[in-house]
Amino acid sequence: MNVLWIPLFPLIAFLLLTAGRKVWSKGISALIGIIATAFSFLLSLPVLWESLAGGKTIVWKIPWFHINQQVIQFGIEAGPLNVLMLTIVSGVSFLVHLYSWGYMRKDQRINTFYAYLTLFTFSMLGLVISSNLLEIYIFWELVGVCSFLLVGFWYFKPEAKAAAKKAFIVTRIGDIGLFIAVSLLFWQVGSFELSDLKAAVANGQIEPAMITWIAILVFIGAVGKSGQFPLHTWLPDAMEGPTPVSALIHAATMVAAGVFLVANLFFLFEASETAMSVVAYTGGFTAIFAASIGLAQNDIKRVLAYSTVSQIGYMMLALGSAGYVAGVFHLMTHAFFKALLFLAAGAVIVSLHHEQDIRKMGGLWKQHRWLGIWFLTGCLAIAGIPPFSGFFSKDEILMSVYADGRQGLFSVAVIAAFFTAFYMFRLFFMVFSGSYRGEQKIEGIPRVMMIPIIVLAVLSTVAGFANTPGRLLEHWLVTGSGVASDSLHHAPGWIPVLAIAVSLLGIGLAYVMYGRKRLAPEAVVKAVPWVYQLVYRKYYIDELYQMIIVLPLKAFGWFLHGWDRFIVGGLVHLSAWFVSFLGSVGSRIQNGQAQTYALVSLIGLILLIVGLTAGRLFE
Amino acid sequence: MKVITAWLPTLITFLPLIGVPVILCLPRKQTGWHRLAAMLATLPSLLLAGYMYALFEAGQKGMQWFQSFVWFRIPIPDPQVEPWVFHYSMGADGLSMPLVLLTCIVSTLAAAASLYIKERTREYYILLLLLQTGMAGVFLSANFFLFFIFFEITLISMYFLIGIWGYLGKEKAANHFLLYNGLGSGFLLFALVGLLLLSGNLDYGVIQQNMAQLMAHPELVNGPVKTMVWAIFVSLMIAFAIKLPIFPFHSWMLRVHVEAPTPVVMIHSGILLKMGAYGLIRFGLGIYPAFMKEVATLLVILGLVNILYGAILAFVQKELKKVLAYSSVSHMGIILLGIGSLSGVGLQGAVFQAVSHGLISALLFFLVGSLYERTKTTELDELGGLAKSMPLFSGILLVAAMALLGLPGLSGFISEFFAFLGLFKVKPVMAAVGTLGLILAAVYTLRAVLKTTFGPMKQRFVKLTDIHPRETVPMLVFVGLIVLIGVYPDVLGRPMQETLELIVSRIGG
Repeated sequence: MNVLWIPLFPLIAFLLLTAGRKVWSKGISALIGIIATAFSFLLSLPVLWESLAGGKTIVWKIPWFHINQQVIQFGIEAGPLNVLMLTIVSGVSFLVHLYSWGYMRKDQRINTFYAYLTLFTFSMLGLVISSNLLEIYIFWELVGVCSFLLVGFWYFKPEAKAAAKKAFIVTRIGDIGLFIAVSLLFWQVGSFELSDLKAAVANGQIEPAMITWIAILVFIGAVGKSGQFPLHTWLPDAMEGPTPVSALIHAATMVAAGVFLVANLFFLFEASETAMSVVAYTGGFTAIFAASIGLAQNDIKRVLAYSTVSQIGYMMLALGSAGYVAGVFHLMTHAFFKALLFLAAGAVIVSLHHEQDIRKMGGLWKQHRWLGIWFLTGCLAIAGIPPFSGFFSKDEILMSVYADGRQGLFSVAVIAAFFTAFYMFRLFFMVFSGSYRGEQKIEGIPRVMMIPIIVLAVLSTVAGFANTPGRLLEHWLVTGSGVASDSLHHAPGWIPVLAIAVSLLGIGLAYVMYGRKRLAPEAVVKAVPWVYQLVYRKYYIDELYQMIIVLPLKAFGWFLHGWDRFIVGGLVHLSAWFVSFLGSVGSRIQNGQAQTYALVSLIGLILLIVGLTAGRLFE
Repeated sequence: MKVITAWLPTLITFLPLIGVPVILCLPRKQTGWHRLAAMLATLPSLLLAGYMYALFEAGQKGMQWFQSFVWFRIPIPDPQVEPWVFHYSMGADGLSMPLVLLTCIVSTLAAAASLYIKERTREYYILLLLLQTGMAGVFLSANFFLFFIFFEITLISMYFLIGIWGYLGKEKAANHFLLYNGLGSGFLLFALVGLLLLSGNLDYGVIQQNMAQLMAHPELVNGPVKTMVWAIFVSLMIAFAIKLPIFPFHSWMLRVHVEAPTPVVMIHSGILLKMGAYGLIRFGLGIYPAFMKEVATLLVILGLVNILYGAILAFVQKELKKVLAYSSVSHMGIILLGIGSLSGVGLQGAVFQAVSHGLISALLFFLVGSLYERTKTTELDELGGLAKSMPLFSGILLVAAMALLGLPGLSGFISEFFAFLGLFKVKPVMAAVGTLGLILAAVYTLRAVLKTTFGPMKQRFVKLTDIHPRETVPMLVFVGLIVLIGVYPDVLGRPMQETLELIVSRIGG
């Protein structure tokens, strides 16, 4: 049972690291994490190979606990989608574990860092191969808590503390949607098993209205985890965590879990037209919304964070437009190029003494030429320039949306592609071209950090060929899942041309503004000051939530506080008065000091007498 | 061995008292010896409770180890009426088994956590052992009169434990405690007398039968009898509503949570509140299934009020213990949801929540107590950044907080999940409203914990020492149990299922 061991290795590493908190040296701690994830990755390769070769879905289940007399199972179900995720997660996780050894080498708590990171890897691997919905929910929450722990890893920084809290609470709002969906589905189907759910949906056992409700509730969970509008606010703040964490959790794997969830439960969404529309419109809106914010941010990691939100919006848009393969394909390519961009950004940050403001960077091409090349690879991939991987997957998304017939969303997706190209190359030119604007000396980059970057750069370049021209990925995914393959042959041939054109346009504009500096960004800002402010301030969403949710809740809390103290607490005085009244009667009878407890026994006595008298009435 | 097995409930109840003469014989000054003796005195009960759990037949619906003797009789002057017979009846079923085990575990660990008690330790440990006997007796008695007596024993010993060894406002807290709980016992006593008049014998089984017969013949239930039956039901409900506590009867427990000494709060929050839940299920659902069906919606509404009211108030508290106290109000609401769902899985959730919250809150109050010993404050604004000087403490606090807010893999989640799952079957909209409480739980828990351990450290806390193994070991036992229930719920769920199904089957469709 090889698949079982894939998540178990990181779990064992976590237990070892936690138990040996004071025993392991920094190097040993890192080594435990790296070796465990390396094993996971190596074990996932033969699983991938078998599945590609047409192997069946791997199923393994054991009885777990009982609800009434019913046995709830715990198990693994690994079809093509799961195996793909398994490989991506273990692979990227291994690379990030390796990279962290360089990035975190000066941190005293590297043991804790690796412990959290391995716990995350375990949970994430568990999530992608779970065989039932309850199990998915459990791992879903566990990855959330690991994300919380790692965002707040530098717990002494107030920003990190606030960001960690926000990440947990905002995603939990989404998780409750999933929680309700799991509960409702159980009473509809009588089981948590995905296979049973699928059968129930196929048999029409669930009412259509109920399916829509449940699908939307599941999607709310995905919205929270994947940072989609309106629950996106936590993801940019989560950049307070160490950069390897941003790469692994907040770019490549966990935030893509929402996409995975929708894809995994695609049978549910397909059964409801409304739910599909909700997914498509939320995704499309988020794609352009987050991309537009990304245009004006100055923190290198925040630009990438908004880019992540936007790219995941693309994936949701694809899924909502029945582009199952396109969505999953983009998930894969994005995992590679976004992890690459984050790790490269982390290398930039390390070389600049943890400076993250791009206005204080520049000219790094001279010092770190190779890093510049790898970063450029990532930029070209995300901007969608052939033959880099992002081009192919984004192209498929555009074609799916077009084929699905929602022209408005198609235009939105095209404009967002333009934005993407622009802000990525704005970033690239600000960091690498021109001259250095910072004050501190530019440092070297540890070699251990460069290896993962190179591997990811290669993957970002070639991953697009997984589905082009052979459509290998599509055949594989579709045979295993029973989902209809994307109807791309209806899409016209001008779409890829348009996609390349808008990307080049975005790159060109960025070059003019930030590379050549022919057009001063300040002039643009001055031309439309309020638009710039709106975008720069992220459309004031945080402030809005503060005003309409946090403050009213606090005010209501303080109101209740007074109420509880004076009104409800007043009940005490009322009953105290009642007792002392009885007490004064009692003390007159007993002609002595009435201790409180005696008083209370007295009440009992009175009640006893009343009871006995009342008893006589019956006879 | 056979004798022990037959007498298990009695032994578990009274064995802690063997520690009393031992402690009395020890020199007055040797506080460490007193603690050791008390811990050792709680151990036989703990071991026997474990043994009982191992022997427990999950497939059996009724009471196991049931033992009944005539204790005393009250002859009635009227020769046509049967004399009142009071039985000494003890036993355990799927409902009491988990709670007995919880009682023994928390009692032992509370004795271990009593290392901060420095004054009048002899009296303290004697009362603590008496309290344990009271609590175990409450869960193990199979006769209402006996139940009442044990219930009163817990009240008296708690009163002194709070009043003598508490913090600054201890007298007031003890008096409030007594005031409300005294009222509660008044109602309980009224119910006792009423049931005695109706049934003549207070064994649970007999009361149940007589009441079922009465319900089966509506023509018998009229006029004064009907009033009586309802009055008993209402007073039982009020008595246990005060104990749980249900809004608006909760203000007494806030004071107790803040003022009582650490081990006593562990027991109070961990076990005593759960007597309310136990009473609602045992006597509410057990004796009055039909009535409970009528008030189920009310119970759910009260549960929702408890959940949201407690959660919102926990969110604005400035003191750590008060946050936890209001969070207890909120978590007891989940028990009400489970009971109000009247379904097997919901009830299972209620009992799970009782046990799980018992462990979690006991652990949390233990942590807060150990914190107070070092910082001499539990005001949230004065704390901060403790993860630096007390990493182990902070780690355990984080785990406990995660359990409190219902992180899967820990016991809090599975309890809430069962309770909500039960409610989603019958009242999905109300259940959905209740899930807001799960979000708020994250909000107030994280706020409190992050204010304590995260952020920049205050200068005056630089030299704090991390928790000692004497504290760490009992804390880790709690953590282990919380994880065990969370990962393998059957360990707790299997024994209770048959009993709960029997209760649900009486409610009818």
